[in-house]
Amino acid sequence: MNFHGEDLRKIYRTGETEVHALRGVDLDIEAGEVLVLLGPSGSGKSTLLNILGGLDRPTSGLLTSGELDLTALDDAELTRFRRDRVGFIFQFYNLIPSLTAEENVRLVTDIAESPMDPARALDLVGLAERRDHYPAQLSGGEQQRVAVARAIAKQPGVLLCDEPTGALDSATGVRVLEALEAANRETGATLVIITHNAGIAAMADRVFHFLDGRIARIERNAVRTSPGKMTW
Amino acid sequence: MKALDRKLLRDLWHMRGQVLAIALVLAAATATFVLSMGVHRSLVETRDAYYARNAFAEVFAGLTRAPGSLVERVKAIPGVRKAEGGIIQYATLDFPGRPEPVRALINSVDENGRTELNKLTLRSGRLPQQGAAGEVVADESFVKANGLTLGSRITALIYGKQQVLTIVGTGLAPNYVYALPPGDILPDDRRFGIFWMGQKALEAATDRTEAINSLSLTLERDARVADVIRQLDALLEPYGGTGAYGREDHLSHAFLDNELVQLSAMTRVIPPVFLLVATFLVYIVLGRMIRTERTQIGLIKAFGYTNAEVGWHYLKFALAIAVVATVLGCVSGVWMGRAMTRIYAEYYRFPFLTYLLDPRVFLAAAGLSFGAAALGSLGGMRAALVLTPAVAMTAPPPPVYRRGLVERLGRRAGFSAVGHMIVRHIARWPGRAAITVFGVGLSVGLLFATTQFLDSSRAMLDGFFFRAQKQDLMVSFIEPRSEAALFALAQIPGVLRVEPSRAIAVRLSHGNRVERGAIESAPPDARLSAHIDIDGTEIELPASGLMLSRQLADKLGVRPGDRVWVEELGGRRSRQALPVARVIEEFVGERAYASEATLLAITRDAAPVGSALLRIDPARRDAILIRLKDMPMVLGVSERETTFARFEDMIDENINTMLAFYISFAGAIAVGVVYNSARILFSERAHELATMRVLGYHRREVATVLLGELALLVVMAVPLGCLLGNGLARVMTAMFSSDLFRLPFAPEPASYGRAVMIVLAATALTALLVVRRVMNLDMVRVLKGRD
Repeated sequence: MNFHGEDLRKIYRTGETEVHALRGVDLDIEAGEVLVLLGPSGSGKSTLLNILGGLDRPTSGLLTSGELDLTALDDAELTRFRRDRVGFIFQFYNLIPSLTAEENVRLVTDIAESPMDPARALDLVGLAERRDHYPAQLSGGEQQRVAVARAIAKQPGVLLCDEPTGALDSATGVRVLEALEAANRETGATLVIITHNAGIAAMADRVFHFLDGRIARIERNAVRTSPGKMTW
Repeated sequence: MKALDRKLLRDLWHMRGQVLAIALVLAAATATFVLSMGVHRSLVETRDAYYARNAFAEVFAGLTRAPGSLVERVKAIPGVRKAEGGIIQYATLDFPGRPEPVRALINSVDENGRTELNKLTLRSGRLPQQGAAGEVVADESFVKANGLTLGSRITALIYGKQQVLTIVGTGLAPNYVYALPPGDILPDDRRFGIFWMGQKALEAATDRTEAINSLSLTLERDARVADVIRQLDALLEPYGGTGAYGREDHLSHAFLDNELVQLSAMTRVIPPVFLLVATFLVYIVLGRMIRTERTQIGLIKAFGYTNAEVGWHYLKFALAIAVVATVLGCVSGVWMGRAMTRIYAEYYRFPFLTYLLDPRVFLAAAGLSFGAAALGSLGGMRAALVLTPAVAMTAPPPPVYRRGLVERLGRRAGFSAVGHMIVRHIARWPGRAAITVFGVGLSVGLLFATTQFLDSSRAMLDGFFFRAQKQDLMVSFIEPRSEAALFALAQIPGVLRVEPSRAIAVRLSHGNRVERGAIESAPPDARLSAHIDIDGTEIELPASGLMLSRQLADKLGVRPGDRVWVEELGGRRSRQALPVARVIEEFVGERAYASEATLLAITRDAAPVGSALLRIDPARRDAILIRLKDMPMVLGVSERETTFARFEDMIDENINTMLAFYISFAGAIAVGVVYNSARILFSERAHELATMRVLGYHRREVATVLLGELALLVVMAVPLGCLLGNGLARVMTAMFSSDLFRLPFAPEPASYGRAVMIVLAATALTALLVVRRVMNLDMVRVLKGRD
């Protein structure tokens, strides 16, 4: 799934103060591309990710994905967009504690258009054995891999990951990134990863460096390094 | 203000919805308490003051005729403090143009105001003057209902003689707080009035110069009522005494007492239900609050605040709710108490009846709501106290979910992931779910238990007016008559059937228990009357022996097969032991029945006819009523249809007030419970719900998680509520029963339905309030923080 954005701006108003989270971002993301967003806190990465995923709307600017004008969608249509095309992964996993690993995946396959079998999604992240465990019975890395399985099970056009390894140690983080890369490879989903960790940039096709609500610099990797070979 | 107190105020403000919802339930408890206790106290104090001021007698006796000098002999009975004789006489009043008979009960009164007992309170005008014939004081309600004024003249038939009466005053007396027309069961201000006439004038009108036909007594403090009655009866025997009786058998007093019994039953049943629910609500809300404020509690303790200070802080939160509830409850309780007092003032004639503001009632109400709130806060306070700072400041362990029985069933039934979320959350917090189910159930139960009294009344009316009575008119006679009276009635054109209703005054005794009453009888081929028991079954009169109502049998301590002594009061004064053939569960009064043959055996003569039941041609109703009005032997005529209509009116008049009270009470519980459950549910699940939104669930799908859980709990509450309601209604029906009335427990299935529907509506509206929050859930903000 591809994206095209022009002069994207986002202003948050809280009381009397205005926060300019995005100050005019132009971008083109190609289908199947692996993209890493780097930058300090408050530089606008998460805001962009939320806008790409249909969680939020830009204050002004244009954003399309294929034929779809994301800025023109109403709330129900944005929900539909997320439901059918977008997979999210967060730093703190956001699993439902009352559902087992498999049921957390089913939460998505219950409503998706053409989902894969939840068991297969868990198999892809190497957790087939732990399908009947509750989140409280899983390690952090395992929980994040369930979140990855949940995100890929709907066969999304794009996987949006906000600090997916932020709460994990390096070895565990690598396993999660491997799962993400496998999903990108096998389903052709576009992969966008936010991170503070410059080491992860090596797995991307391109790296967007954010500063003060703008893309300060775009870096292209000649060769993508597989996560297994990265260290940080 | 201390920082911790500032936090308290902000917490209260922040949780104002939940605080208010709990306060509402607690306020309902306070309000019902203030209402029923207040009205009860007002009635008791008004009654006692009125009785004392107007010297309401303690023992009463009727007789045929005795010389006035008998009073001195009565005074000589040990234990008698005061005694007074007088004349009480029924009269027929003629209101031109009105076919139905209008009656008055005329009481003698000392023209110089020297009456010592059952004193008349003048409301307007003056007392009758000595020597002025036909001057009367009439009771206020009768004067008002018939559009009369001071100076109005009415033609009356007294003791067979026509006389014109002039109303010179209006008044009230303590022996007629509740005044029933002869043979009737409801007051009727238009057709029945109480009059007072000068002693001499009434003596002249009734040919009883220097004679009396009634006695009233007060007793010394240590006198035994039963002893005085026994000696008085012996003394009155030669004068046709019909049996002396104490206050508990005095009609007006008994009706008032019946009302007080019901009020105190209400005080004992309804407020505890609310208090229980409110205690539980404080328990769950404070418990949840302390779980979410875990870190803060750790921090406060780390700063050096003592356990006592932390505990007191949270206790104050609960007590603040009690303050709100006490104020709300007292204000609305007084408002409702005033409304209810106004209803009482319509049926009970007091010179003054105002809702008394008794500080003790308010203090007790405040005590109850503070107690309930404090009790509810104990669990939360304990949790806050046992937290050590180090533990408190770490994240709480994640909730552990497990599979249970429901789960295995759910898997088979093919639950969706959302379905699993709902049932597992309930299974994770079973106590809280149980409180919600129990609370909503109680709301249904309370609404059912209070509104099913309508069904009771209707069942009673149906049994009483349509199955037990099939006559069109009941004619009561001035004094018991022979068969000839029946023939006279049968002669009136349009009268289709006449049946006698016989009764003899008796004293029934068993061991040392004595009850005064009447044995009633109907002819074997009776078609205009029947005995219907409380379940609606028609009961035949036993061929021999007595049939007693349950209340009378209990008072005498007898069962079928036992023998009771029957002593005739008046007549031949025969005394014999008769077996109790059966006991009947009845709605009204303590009554005894026997076949005509048994009655004949007691009186050894044809038993006198006290009243007659008539079936008439409806087209000739007016003509028949006019004929009856002119018959000197006729004391009163009651029409089944009009009495029934008046009953219906009375119910209709009060029903809206009553329903509004009860619906708002039950609503308070439903709203309080559901709002708090929903808010806690929402705050616990906000994070999950936001996650679902991110995953692409629509708002209404996300709301399903919240509403689904509530709906499941409410659905579980419905059968529980019906069961609780059934039990509560049975208890209340039993508590409301008095010597005068017994209510049947006969709920219509629709009453369950009505209670359920009203509570479901309240629940749905409350849930929608919380669902609005789901609609406005900010996904981005919720996801930023860890839950």
